[in-house]
Amino acid sequence: MSKTVISMRGIIKRYYIGKPNELQILNGIDLDVQEGEFLSIVGQSGSGKSTLMNMIGALDRPTEGTYCLNGVDISTLNDVELSRIRNKEIGFVFQTFNLISRTSALKNVEMPMMYAGIPRKERLRRAEELLAIVDMADRADHQPNELSGGQKQRVAIARAMANHPSILLADEPTGALDSKTGRLIMDLFHKLHREEGTTIVLITHSNELAAETERIVTISDGSIIGDTGVKADAAD
Amino acid sequence: MQLIENLRLAFTSLLANKMRALLTMLGIIIGISAVILITTIGTSIQKTLTNTFNSLGNFNIFTVDVWLNENDDGEGFIESEMISREMIDEVIAMYPGQFSLEMSQSGGTVTTQNENGDVITMDITGVMDVVPAADHLRGRTIQYKDSQNKKNAIYVTDLFVRQYFPEGADPIGQTVNLTFENGVSADFTIVGYDKLPKIYEKKFAPGTKEIDKTTPAAVPLDSLLSILHQEIRPNDRVYIRYNTDYDMETMQQELQEFFDEKYAEYPRYYITVRDQQSELGMINTVINIVTIAISVIAAISLIVGGVGVMNIMLVSITERTKEIGIRKALGAQNSAIRLQFVVEAIMICLIGGVIGILLGIFGGMAIGWIAKLLVEQFYAEYAELIAITIQPSIPAILVAVFFSILTGVFFGYYPANKAAHMNPIDALRYD
Repeated sequence: MSKTVISMRGIIKRYYIGKPNELQILNGIDLDVQEGEFLSIVGQSGSGKSTLMNMIGALDRPTEGTYCLNGVDISTLNDVELSRIRNKEIGFVFQTFNLISRTSALKNVEMPMMYAGIPRKERLRRAEELLAIVDMADRADHQPNELSGGQKQRVAIARAMANHPSILLADEPTGALDSKTGRLIMDLFHKLHREEGTTIVLITHSNELAAETERIVTISDGSIIGDTGVKADAAD
Repeated sequence: MQLIENLRLAFTSLLANKMRALLTMLGIIIGISAVILITTIGTSIQKTLTNTFNSLGNFNIFTVDVWLNENDDGEGFIESEMISREMIDEVIAMYPGQFSLEMSQSGGTVTTQNENGDVITMDITGVMDVVPAADHLRGRTIQYKDSQNKKNAIYVTDLFVRQYFPEGADPIGQTVNLTFENGVSADFTIVGYDKLPKIYEKKFAPGTKEIDKTTPAAVPLDSLLSILHQEIRPNDRVYIRYNTDYDMETMQQELQEFFDEKYAEYPRYYITVRDQQSELGMINTVINIVTIAISVIAAISLIVGGVGVMNIMLVSITERTKEIGIRKALGAQNSAIRLQFVVEAIMICLIGGVIGILLGIFGGMAIGWIAKLLVEQFYAEYAELIAITIQPSIPAILVAVFFSILTGVFFGYYPANKAAHMNPIDALRYD
């Protein structure tokens, strides 16, 4: 039995609490993710998947319920501790890449390590290694505006992997790319999953992309309405 | 380590918006440069005054003046009632070795002949005491005891030494026979010589041969007076030089009492005893107060500059909301974001401060240079004496650097704190 990375119990998220327009986005989510899984969370816009992603990514705390990440209940942590969790345990990949402009690819990859307090030399070595993994070593000194969408996303993936996170959290990573480039990015995720054993949570509205993953969790109106569990044929 | 990283970050961010950074700095630059300029001018005036006084050599001097009372009947000064030689001798006898009368009188020209038979002319002055001009003196100057003993000592210039002696000879202790305008001849012993003052050099007509140049020379006043059969006449002003190893204020008070007593029988007059050093001190105090007052006014513009920095920092964090969100998602703590923007604000202020300091110093130098030109143009005869010195105020520079940093911290903290407390989800979503 492999280690449980994510363990969510009865997660509820409400906004505008106590006001007339109070809104409940998540209606009690229970979700467990094991180490090394490649899982997709599928849902239409407004289904609550972004809120769930923020929760998984420790950007937000649930209103009710518990969320244990590697056994640590993060719903009780303060801002400084949440920052540490985001820094060490989560690797974000965004739809719009979110590289820091006017900053070279290498520096972008170094950034999470800088916040982790890793010495400069060590940072540099690791950043170069990561850029090599995503096949961007020759573009290390390029700034984001000198890179194509696909290249930016590869740098972003390298950055997400910097601190050996427990989860790679990808939010519509191919949404801003053409299908050919999107294919390459998906291949990169598969490669990372296969070769590095990375736990990947892919958030998407596309059933087609979700079908590539080992397990599909479908979310609608703030509740999980479907969970395929780990498919035997994909978990090779 | 994070600090170096932040410095680099702030620097890159400033470089990315050069024009904006410069305009933001402008307020700081103007404020700091104004303060530095004013303090530079202030300290330069003080330094120039002190140097000029020192170069004149008559620093430790009391000026004793006789004044008429306001309600005088119109007879004016009567010479026999002025300060006489006897009074001065009495004063000098009161403090042996402490006082000397500062007085000089021209003795016209004297002539002498060197070994080759060339006639050499000198402007002779009778003096009581000469303070050496420090740098180029050989031997000694004329001293008060020479005058008291009516010693035939003479103090000459290097030009005279070249005119009179063969090259390489040691003139000190040698005797020169001088012929005065009234026909009297006397032997004088050279006690010392100094470089000919530049101001004198300018008096020679161009093309004058060295042997024909008339140089100045000094002899003891009493020796000169006895040769010329003259006496020191009473005067309404005398200068009394004092040695510094005695308490100046006590001396001044005792001198005042001495002269008040002497003039008790002449109620038409009153006496003042002034000390040049304390007068210089008073001038310095006034300059200090004025400098500080104007500097404080100039420093107000720093606040305006600081508000400008705050404004731009607020704009900057709004523009960079997305970046702040990304950094937070990557694990930046609030304190790291705050530090990043505070460092950026400090850097703006510090660079502005350094530019301001440089501008202030250069401005001060430019003003000093113009002052020098003006003096040379309109007061050429004094140009040699007025030693214009440009002296940036070091404490003012240190205070300016400190205040630049303080401005950065003070006006950068609020925007930085605002950035630090942004909600990462909202910040990430910001476009």
